[in-house]
Amino acid sequence: MVNFSDLNFIFRFLPVFLVAFYLTPVRFRTWTLLFGSLLFYAVGDLRMFPALLAAVIVNFLFAKAQSGEKSKSMLFFILAIDAGMLIEFKILGQYVDSSLLPIGISFYIFKMISYQMDVYRGKFEQDASFVDVAAYFTMFPQVVSGPIMRFDRYLENPMLREKTSPGQIAESIEDGLRFFVAGLAMKVLLADHLAMLWRDIGTIGYESISTPLAWLGAVTYSLELYLDFWGYSLMASGIGVMIGFPFITNFDHPYGSGSISEFYRRWHATLGSWFKDYIYIPLGGSRKGQLRTVINLLVVWLITGFWHGITPNFIIWGLVLGFIIICERLFVLKKLPTPVSKFVGKVNVLVIIPLTWVVFAISDFDMLGCYFSRLFPFAGGGISVNRGDFLKNIGIYWSVLLPSLILLIPRVYDFWVNRRNRVLFNIAWIILFWTCIYSLAGAAGNPFLYFRF
Amino acid sequence: MKILKKCPILVGIVVITIALSIVSLIFKDTVYAGYADKYESGDIPLLALAFKGAIDEVYPWSDIQQEALLPQDVQTDEAPESPSQQEEVTTEQQAQDIQSEPEEAVYISGNDVSGDSLSGNSVSGNSEDITYEFTEVDDDYFTDAVFIGDSRTVGLSEYCEPLDTRATFYAKISLTIFDVFKKEYIKTDEGKISLEEALTRNQFGKVYIMLGLNEIGTGDSEYFKAAYAEVIGKIRELQPDAIIYIQGIMHVTAHKSDADKNFNNEKINARNAAIAELADNKTIFYIDMNEAVDDENGNLEAGLSFDDVHLKASSYERWHEFLLHNAIVR
Repeated sequence: MVNFSDLNFIFRFLPVFLVAFYLTPVRFRTWTLLFGSLLFYAVGDLRMFPALLAAVIVNFLFAKAQSGEKSKSMLFFILAIDAGMLIEFKILGQYVDSSLLPIGISFYIFKMISYQMDVYRGKFEQDASFVDVAAYFTMFPQVVSGPIMRFDRYLENPMLREKTSPGQIAESIEDGLRFFVAGLAMKVLLADHLAMLWRDIGTIGYESISTPLAWLGAVTYSLELYLDFWGYSLMASGIGVMIGFPFITNFDHPYGSGSISEFYRRWHATLGSWFKDYIYIPLGGSRKGQLRTVINLLVVWLITGFWHGITPNFIIWGLVLGFIIICERLFVLKKLPTPVSKFVGKVNVLVIIPLTWVVFAISDFDMLGCYFSRLFPFAGGGISVNRGDFLKNIGIYWSVLLPSLILLIPRVYDFWVNRRNRVLFNIAWIILFWTCIYSLAGAAGNPFLYFRF
Repeated sequence: MKILKKCPILVGIVVITIALSIVSLIFKDTVYAGYADKYESGDIPLLALAFKGAIDEVYPWSDIQQEALLPQDVQTDEAPESPSQQEEVTTEQQAQDIQSEPEEAVYISGNDVSGDSLSGNSVSGNSEDITYEFTEVDDDYFTDAVFIGDSRTVGLSEYCEPLDTRATFYAKISLTIFDVFKKEYIKTDEGKISLEEALTRNQFGKVYIMLGLNEIGTGDSEYFKAAYAEVIGKIRELQPDAIIYIQGIMHVTAHKSDADKNFNNEKINARNAAIAELADNKTIFYIDMNEAVDDENGNLEAGLSFDDVHLKASSYERWHEFLLHNAIVR
């Protein structure tokens, strides 16, 4: 149920929660949000539920203690606890048993760290109440995979503070629903099908794919990751809007970027800005000379790699990106004439980024090397390659690949956002929603749909 | 009206949700009975019944009797222990019904091969005394062969060039023994045709079948064997002179087998044992290619597969080699 694209979430949890939330008097609504979120989490991961509760309580108490005089050592202490908890569970989850990694820990711990640092920096005038802090840390739209909203945005929710008219409530729900359906469609109708192509490529075996198929695979995986996560973020932000929160932009057309540095300001933007505000700038950012800037960037990207996973491929992935971003900053964007740097930047985004996603996707080193030898077949051909495999898969998957590629064009999404309450879009969105449900119903309780042989 | 103007999408979704829930509730115990257990166990919301039905082309106005015979509705093994005993009872009855039919119609059970068995009727009488042995052949043996199967056979056609250039493949992803004669799945220049039509138009010297993995969650081994016998009987009618090879279902890896209550090698072995009995060793033979791909514990060797179920492209050669070494020459 912790998956938004789950029939039980869509038809059971979400409607019941919304009704309960809005029937609760404003004074107690935050409690409804907190209890709903705890229930949501407990259903998804009961065993690791105590870890979340403990983290919430400890973080609240430490922040509370900072209400008067700010203590730097106390800040460091709680940051060490938070970071230590994250690292410990990541190691346990990777090397002992994956069920030991609490759902969403990477996200809720980052929220907690940002909250501690913002409290220390005196960003909030008033002390926050326990229920607000706890609801902020655990709120179900964000607890599993973000977006990593800041506490000041949490406080902007009028539904938790003042009396609102039924019309306002209806408008919020309707608008949130628009984003939710858009995200659901991206995930269910596109990303999940792209995932099938990526899995098919694995089934063939990387040593036996043709070079065109290897490139198609890199594009497919890139699109899958993008639409899966963008779709998820739209669903999460949409649910947030339904209960009064501001819309949080997590993906801002990253593939429209002119450089990799820009790409990562627009890809998973709440994570990027978190790293900027709580790691890069505290380290000195770019204000302490070129050498420190380079070191700071590498530190940020090394941690970014670790945050995504502690297998070596993620570390390499992070370091490669750090290296390219440093090159861009010191050389490409500075020294080259503008048309050339623009061109190089675009190539980086559209070619290098998909290649870095391949590194992200394949955790086994030998298999990764094998995949790259098919992307760049300088050392000769693979084993049992079927030359027709590219066209065969284009024939099967074009209807998913084409709309996915079209969604890379920023204007397409913006066109919808600006006109999203037009009648035609309303009708289209109802149809889109039920198309997704049709697709989900086939797979629900039926492991055979996506796994047919 | 004001709410419709303010929240058209919400209203659209809520109204349709209520309507579909009512439809699902009304027909829960009749047309949608095959899916109701998943609702009652809390796996899916009520309205999903209407969708699950629609996916299988079961609608409120569908003829229940006819639909109930579809194997998709059975899936006994998949259902959790608790819900809907009634459903399981009907399922067993269906299984028996289907089972008894073909056994009366065609005698091809390997145990009691007798004079009036299918092989005896179709092949000349004196072949009964000859014992055939598996021998080695070269690739030209497959020039008049047809391979019928699911995605694994599709893979064989795509990644085994010597076979693909010689033999005919009537294979399709997710094909099962239950729908092999029902679906029009064979592509020709004039569109898709059924297996019956394809086997009527073309005569083959050898028919290789490997089916049974997709339907492993459906019914039990006996039910599967009965359906298999029916398919063999029909192929025999259409291809009176062909050698029919029943290929044992290929194993899955230990990783898959240990974790899956359906797709495991214990079940595969039980089904293979059942269909092996259909061989008469005169015109119908059972061959099991697992010996070519298994590890020492009888699981598919992990290195040969990426997804634990299919051979990797580079591993199909083992299957090919096995076929070359296990052929019948008359």
